Amino acid sequence: MSDSWAVDVQDVSKNFGDVNALDGVTLRVRQGEIYGLLGPNGSGKTTLIRMFVGLVEPNAGTVTVLGQRMPNVAMLSHVGYMTQAAALYPGLSVEENVQFFAAINGAEGGVRAALEFVKLYDRRDSVVSTLSGGMRQRLSLACALVHKPQVLLLDEPTVGVDPQLRVELWDGFKEMADAGTTIIVSSHVMDEAERCQRLGLILFGKLLTEGSPSEIRARAGRPTLEEAFLSLSQSRA
Amino acid sequence: MSGKRVAAITKRLLQQFRRDRRTLALLFVAPIVILGLLGYLIRGSASAPAVGIVNEDQGPLGATVAAALARSSEISTTTIQASDGDSKLKDGSLAAYIVFPPDFSSQAQAGTIAPDVHLEGSQPGTIAPVLQALQEALLAVAAQAPGSSLHVLPHVTYLYGGPGFDTLDYFGAAFIGLVVFFLVFVVTIVSFLNERSQGTLERLMASPLRRGEIVLGYMLGFTVLAVIQSVEVLVFALAVLKVHNSGNVALIFGIEALMAVAAVNLGIFLSMFARTEFQAVQFIPLVIVPQFLLSGILFSVSTEPKPLQVLSNVLPLTYAVNGLRDVMVKGADLSSGSLQLDVGVVAGFIVVLVVAASTTLRRRIA
Ligand SMILES: Nc1ncnc2c1ncn2[C@@H]1O[C@H](COP(=O)(O)OP(=O)(O)O)[C@@H](O)[C@H]1O
Ligand SMILES: [Mg+2]
Repeated sequence: MSDSWAVDVQDVSKNFGDVNALDGVTLRVRQGEIYGLLGPNGSGKTTLIRMFVGLVEPNAGTVTVLGQRMPNVAMLSHVGYMTQAAALYPGLSVEENVQFFAAINGAEGGVRAALEFVKLYDRRDSVVSTLSGGMRQRLSLACALVHKPQVLLLDEPTVGVDPQLRVELWDGFKEMADAGTTIIVSSHVMDEAERCQRLGLILFGKLLTEGSPSEIRARAGRPTLEEAFLSLSQSRA
Repeated sequence: MSGKRVAAITKRLLQQFRRDRRTLALLFVAPIVILGLLGYLIRGSASAPAVGIVNEDQGPLGATVAAALARSSEISTTTIQASDGDSKLKDGSLAAYIVFPPDFSSQAQAGTIAPDVHLEGSQPGTIAPVLQALQEALLAVAAQAPGSSLHVLPHVTYLYGGPGFDTLDYFGAAFIGLVVFFLVFVVTIVSFLNERSQGTLERLMASPLRRGEIVLGYMLGFTVLAVIQSVEVLVFALAVLKVHNSGNVALIFGIEALMAVAAVNLGIFLSMFARTEFQAVQFIPLVIVPQFLLSGILFSVSTEPKPLQVLSNVLPLTYAVNGLRDVMVKGADLSSGSLQLDVGVVAGFIVVLVVAASTTLRRRIA
């Protein structure tokens, strides 16, 4: 049943000039799952995530989100996208930023809940240009989930966020996933990867392997994900 | 002070330019384009103002002066009927007409000649050549009649404007529109570029927003600001500077607001072709300056060299400027065909830009 997949990527390739950003990637993400895209810088994670929202069109292959071929604008109100660099309006307050993204998604009601989720409700009147990097990252997250999307795409969401808050955010992601939200999160931090239900390891635009953290450790015969990733990438290289 | 550190900055600057070919091109191409255009406009003006000659003189002098005028390189003359003069001024086919009255030759005998000079008057650049050509023709004739001292008292009337008009009265109308157009354009292009560089445009593109919605939303937001600015500029021009106005203030405001909306859309559209604010600002010499030179603000379109007239006639600013002059100098209202054309062209330009901006706003943002 194809529509039980939140995201279905079939044999996708993309090149920018002579850079092969993605090369024959096939992967599927179940609804309500936390799926981690793991790979070093430049491996193609961001390019893949941008395909899920139709910002990049593949040269070959298909991307299907919630049963709809992308790009598809109508689909996008069910998708939340947190870009890798916090993309915000620096001249607006914290609350005004979230209100704006709520309004363009037709979800004015969720502003307070989103701000509380990222622990910024007390700072709602602060102007964004006065926030620290970690706070901006959290605000960017709030803007991505304010409309309670069915699929939440997070491109390295916890970069610059302190360890304690990182744990709290991941607890929040778990809660959202339990409530049925599909979360796709890219990362190169291995302890975050442990908290994903399934992982896709990407290297040089190719999917190295896919599976739960324990499956991947077992496959590589290594005790930690970090070592498993390194040995898998060396065996491929 | 360390020479090495200074050199590091200089070197870095030149390295940056090496990668930014576009800025380099602008730096070296724009001055040639702008100066070339200006030179061509001033030196190459092939079309001298058209002047009609009505010779009713019963003596020989009228024909002599008419022949002298025909030889003048500053104006181009045609012979017309006195009854056609005013209508030809109104429809723009003549910049002026000169009447030599029936008693012209006998006036000369009496020592004072008074030809009638009828000026269109709304285009300052055409007035001086006409008066100067007449002066020269009469002086040449007077020189042929030695001994007698001939006084020349041309009787000058203006269809629009008049001797009380100063430079600000002529240019004020056009500048009101230009100031609004220019500032709104710069503000729009820079803020749309911010949207791009701070990454929020990518977010907008990943939201259910349609491209047309983004463009229209922007247009409305900036239009609010532009309208307030238009009111301010207009009040200042009319109440403080006391720029001459013979038309309806609401109509002037309407044209101004239309220009502002056009500037917003031009800004959004052109921001698609710039990656940095730096590149955006480069559109000013490329887009604004030539339009300014060709729009008839300083050099009236009818006296431009023919190839430039073609260019002027496709630039929207030309129509906006003409519309403002029609209203403020000539007191035209919406029943005037010329004003209808002006407003129609500017409005059409806006529609084209909205469509162009929406289509160019690619879903794919590199
Ligand atoms: N718009 C683009 N134009 C040119 N190259 C690009 C573009 N986007 C990504 N790339 C290239 O594609 C590769 C993958 O980039 P990306 O998907 O951002 O990797 P990651 O997010 O895993 O760090 C990189 O080599 C990058 O330089
Ligand atoms: Mg990335």
